[in-house]
Amino acid sequence: MSGRFSRRRLLAGAATAAGVAAAASACGSGGGNTTLTIMGNHPSEITDSDVAGFSKKYPNVKIKFVTNSVQLLTAMFAAGDPPDIIRDQGVQNTPYLVKRDLAEDLAPYFARSTVLTDDKIAAVDDVWRYDGSVQGKGPRYGLAKDYSQDAMLWCNLRVFEKAGVEPPDPTKPMSYEEMLDVAKRITRRKGAQYSAYGLYPPFDVSLSAGVINMVTSAGGSVFNDDYTKVDFSAPEAKSALQWYLDYADAQVGPTVARPLAAGAAAAFFADQLGMVGYGYWFGGEVASNPQVQDHVRFVTAPQFGSTRTSPCFAAVGHWIPKTSQHKQEAWNFFEWYFGEQPAIDRAKSGWGLPGITAMNADLPEVKPYQKQALDVQNAEFSHMSVLKYSPYVAFTALDASLSQAFVKGLESGLSAGRLADLVNDTLNPLLEQGKELVA
Amino acid sequence: MTTAEAPATIRLPADVQAAAPRGWKRYRARTFYAFVSPWLAGFILLTLFPLGYALWLSFTNFDGMTGHYRYVGLDNYADIFRDPDALHSLGRTALYTVITVPAAIIIGTALAVLVNRPVRGRAAFRAIFYLPAVVPIVASALCFKMLFDSDFGLLNHIFNQLHLQTIQWLADPLVFWVMIAMTLWGVGGTMIISLAGLQGIPGELIEAAKVDGANAWRAFTRISLPLLSPIILFEVITGVIASIQAFIPALLLSIQSGTVAATSVPQSNYLFMIHAYAQYFDYGRFGYASALLWALFILILVLTAVIFKVSGRAVFYESGPDEAAQAAAGQAAGEQATGGKVER
Repeated sequence: MSGRFSRRRLLAGAATAAGVAAAASACGSGGGNTTLTIMGNHPSEITDSDVAGFSKKYPNVKIKFVTNSVQLLTAMFAAGDPPDIIRDQGVQNTPYLVKRDLAEDLAPYFARSTVLTDDKIAAVDDVWRYDGSVQGKGPRYGLAKDYSQDAMLWCNLRVFEKAGVEPPDPTKPMSYEEMLDVAKRITRRKGAQYSAYGLYPPFDVSLSAGVINMVTSAGGSVFNDDYTKVDFSAPEAKSALQWYLDYADAQVGPTVARPLAAGAAAAFFADQLGMVGYGYWFGGEVASNPQVQDHVRFVTAPQFGSTRTSPCFAAVGHWIPKTSQHKQEAWNFFEWYFGEQPAIDRAKSGWGLPGITAMNADLPEVKPYQKQALDVQNAEFSHMSVLKYSPYVAFTALDASLSQAFVKGLESGLSAGRLADLVNDTLNPLLEQGKELVA
Repeated sequence: MTTAEAPATIRLPADVQAAAPRGWKRYRARTFYAFVSPWLAGFILLTLFPLGYALWLSFTNFDGMTGHYRYVGLDNYADIFRDPDALHSLGRTALYTVITVPAAIIIGTALAVLVNRPVRGRAAFRAIFYLPAVVPIVASALCFKMLFDSDFGLLNHIFNQLHLQTIQWLADPLVFWVMIAMTLWGVGGTMIISLAGLQGIPGELIEAAKVDGANAWRAFTRISLPLLSPIILFEVITGVIASIQAFIPALLLSIQSGTVAATSVPQSNYLFMIHAYAQYFDYGRFGYASALLWALFILILVLTAVIFKVSGRAVFYESGPDEAAQAAAGQAAGEQATGGKVER
């Protein structure tokens, strides 16, 4: 045998190696015939156990996760190869997705399903419905994995105790002014350094959702009737903006211009935050922090205007793109993830309310704080309200324009009226363009 | 040269003439293309195509998700001049560039001069000064946040111990200076380049100048600096380009995440690339954001050309081995002898 490598032999060897590698790679995929691409949070929301259970049930389907990112999603759509299942916020995005003809109409799948039938699905899942003009009606385009009424509050009783202030009544809503007043009384700070923040208001899930909730409670709307314009100069919207400026001025908690470096949860669990505007889902976090379980209280959502509102800000779930190559497999995953063991496991964890009504029975109520939270939550269901979003602009633009206006307002001392003008000037051209694009 | 003087054709031995190129040499052209093809493919797919695609998008009203976009001509470019946030961000970027580029070059060169001296532990100093440049920027930002956080930061802790008023470092307007400090923290990269330049200067030139009476400062300004000027020009151009495109430091120092990460960046740190990012991914204005990036690309080209033009007389290029350097040494010694006045 010659000791020299000829080019031909080299090329042949390389080709063989490539073939073997490709074959090995196919074997390494677990022998699946179909690869289901999911843009979601793995393993925090879709756990390894969820994936293992699905793989056992559908051995020919391999699951591949891609990072949950709007940049990646845009690129995948541009390349004509979107994920098969996408994580999203039903409250804000359903009309936007449907108007752009991006989401698959799941009505035929629901009609055939024995797992996800209409009688089992919670009312909140209606935010994933859209008939072209009204959210909550028409076909379903997705499902919520779980949800919360996100304007509610969790109180750290130790912070109240140290300040000698009575904590809020769990079922009687405070007004936003009362909430601010309580926050002022429990805040402890020296210069720029806080040893206890009074309040982290309910804007963390989505700034626009927090503001729209306030405006709705005051009887107004930021959108006109056909959702083609915003008007933050209307009295109800302007007073919501003014409340945020007053809150920032009171220096009782973080703002968009001065956020909490470690996040609200860390401060809350270190007994350095008195009230945090999170929904029932935060009970899952409390479960992992036993040091606070004996001094937390879940309380009803504060009320801004004359109407008591307690909306879901997100209804995070998943949808299937119209251009997915594996819709049936994606639907199989839907049934497994939303209607079977993974959904039961999620309900038991307390990380949000289940999208399947029967699973409410699985919500945790072993520990006193869990029972207290569940009691308050059960009373809160009757005040559930729905936020309205325009199909012509992404909710990220609403959040972004509000945060940008607030940053300018807080750093430059602008009035609420000026902030309203800034938001209107940013959003109305986008809405006009959006209307043209989906026409 | 006349034809009569032309050299006679060299006749190779028959066996050499007969021997055709062997091995890879037979395929010189193909080998060349085979070696450059990965770069060429990368350039076409990852640079040329995105540039062209972004240029096309800049003439449309594409929103990132809807397929029914249309051609809008130069509207997006005209919008740049009507967008106060774009102009504000451009101003902040200019200020950031004007501060960081000269500061990085001055500090980097000064450090290079220091660690080029024959001092004990020179290698250790070089490593220490260079180390921050290799620390990932995310880690640097985390350290800076821990240092400057108003509640838990080391600085406010010290202020507290000294009974001084604590300060919100990571809020407007001080956060701008924190970003400058974080950028200059990585000045070791500039130091290494300047050090390489300094080590390329023949030692005998400095010695000669000193023998002729030049002191250390004059030897540095009249010999080292001119010979270093091409390196400094390189640092200026790469520094300006990097500063104009700065994005990560501002974003990392902003504490918010999610949909408001870019738009909650404090006004003083609201750089041009932050604005472009927000237009792309928060507002879904892909056409406009692409126009912003193309405008920036053109600005960088113009600035680079201007820097080349302006620096033409200040940069000292060696025309031949040692000639220019010797001329510089002679000039330095001459100036020293004439009290700094150049006799012409």
